[in-house]
Amino acid sequence: MSARAETLPFGSAATETPLRRLARDFLDSRVAAGALVLLGLIAIAALFAPLLAPQNPYDLAKVTVLDARLAPGERGSAGFLMWLGADGAGRDMWSAILYGLRISLGVGVASGIVALLLGTALGLAAAYRGGWLDALVMRLVDLQLSFPAILVALILVAILGRGADKVMIALILVQWAYYARTVRASALVERRKEYIEAAQCLALPRARIVFRHLLPNCLAPMIVVGTLQTAHAISLEATLSFLGVGLPQTEPSLGLLIANGFDYMLSGRYWISFYPGIALLATIMSINLVGDRLRDVLNPRLER
Amino acid sequence: MVFVLRRVLQSLLVVLVMSLVVFVGVHLVGDPVHILISDDMTQAEIDRFIEKLGLDRPVHEQYLHFLANAARGDLGNSFVHGEPALKLILERMPATLELALAAFVLAIAVGIPLGMYAGLRPESPASRAIMAGSILGFSLPTFWVGLMLIMVFAVMLGWLPSTGRGEFLTWDGLRHLALPAINLALFKMALVTRLARAGTREAALQDYVRFARAKGLSPARVVRVHVLKNILIPVVTVLGLELGGLIAFSVVTETVFAWPGMGKLLIDSIQRLDRPVVVAYLVITVVMFVVINLVVDLLYAALDPRVRLSEARA
Repeated sequence: MSARAETLPFGSAATETPLRRLARDFLDSRVAAGALVLLGLIAIAALFAPLLAPQNPYDLAKVTVLDARLAPGERGSAGFLMWLGADGAGRDMWSAILYGLRISLGVGVASGIVALLLGTALGLAAAYRGGWLDALVMRLVDLQLSFPAILVALILVAILGRGADKVMIALILVQWAYYARTVRASALVERRKEYIEAAQCLALPRARIVFRHLLPNCLAPMIVVGTLQTAHAISLEATLSFLGVGLPQTEPSLGLLIANGFDYMLSGRYWISFYPGIALLATIMSINLVGDRLRDVLNPRLER
Repeated sequence: MVFVLRRVLQSLLVVLVMSLVVFVGVHLVGDPVHILISDDMTQAEIDRFIEKLGLDRPVHEQYLHFLANAARGDLGNSFVHGEPALKLILERMPATLELALAAFVLAIAVGIPLGMYAGLRPESPASRAIMAGSILGFSLPTFWVGLMLIMVFAVMLGWLPSTGRGEFLTWDGLRHLALPAINLALFKMALVTRLARAGTREAALQDYVRFARAKGLSPARVVRVHVLKNILIPVVTVLGLELGGLIAFSVVTETVFAWPGMGKLLIDSIQRLDRPVVVAYLVITVVMFVVINLVVDLLYAALDPRVRLSEARA
């Protein structure tokens, strides 16, 4: 097939794949393109935090109380410039933010992926099998979605207790319902289409129909929901950690950094809370902007 | 009538299921005894303590006991405060309701005019700014906005107090209320703005609006009477459902501003494993939600017979 494409006279037109068209449409919006770049930088910062940070903020040998509450731009006792200041224990804020981003993004993305898999499996099964399974799954979804996510998360945290794993479980259980609902809705539309009927007439195995034919055609809305839900999960985790019922002090996400700086804020030392907040904000905003643009690009009905 | 009964029964079932989930779940978390006994207590004292709290009985017995008591309005005593959990929560409920209602009013009072303006002049720079602002309102985590409000208005400018609650409906009370209410309202404000904008854009193209204009009515009157009336229905319906969300989110705002409401009590109780208070809070909130959803559903059915009929057939 690729050999044939090369022999076509219209070189540029032949290379237009759906993915490239998608990329071009996406980048038409300068805001979205900027958000994507920012998101990429944030992801790199989170991934390579130990290499980029001048200090391991949780290595007690490297942190000294002498640096406590240094203002932004002052030089710490280790010799490097603390351009975002230091927190109450003398940790370099820039390093703490990089490490915090790593945890916030990690928890958000990991819980999002598990929730995506769980929600997709249940949503597809509900749509394809129908009957009691559909009724059961959708009742559960309805029950859960009639309460705001923060309340469900608080109930779960109250039930499960504290710890990183418990917060992850809570985030997964909060999110799966959104995926299940989305997948089921688009699968119900798709499964009435002729290609599914054709596949059924060919007596293909059920698993093949569901995963090779039905699932790929439900992907577009899932990508959009997945992006926006990840931003939501990061925000929710930060909120729980800020409230003191989320991640433990040993795994300080951005929410916990902000909470730790809260007391200092009233005495005018704004930077301990402010800069982690900016990092959190940049992460959530850029994911939301990318998600919004994806929704516009992937859904031709919304084109104006 | 059958429809109403069905919905009421469904709602009761939801409450029952949620109370079971919460009770059994909370029971399986750590042992509150460990937190409440001091090291110098003798084993006999500890045993008496456990017996007094009913922690020595099997889970299902504790739950049935809990249900029977709950039906009488007794949700157990707080382990920490030693007072009835229900009383503790009801004492703090007025503060939460004051905050939620203030935020509700604020969201409508600000959101509708902004949304209508953006809907009437979709291309103007001000409208674009409003819409960008509403995206911010959706994206910003509530607790961080609260911190920024404290930083700017309480610490840097010193205009408003950052924590606590004043007397209801006094100047001092309003000053204390201002920042938390703005904080809590922001998300809903963004939502109302978007709803009002979408509604206005739709209504502005309708024949009755064009006719009103053609009739020579002043633009102000067209907007105030013909457009506003028609966008209020969806806005009010959605907001009715969101009232519960305000109460849930007040947990965050109350913690930031040390507002002495139910939400702050919940967070303190989760941290201290004060089980009866957590269970009581959740049961009360779930009941509030179910009632709100039920009322909105019934209103829908009253306004739109199609809902009733399709439910009856199902």
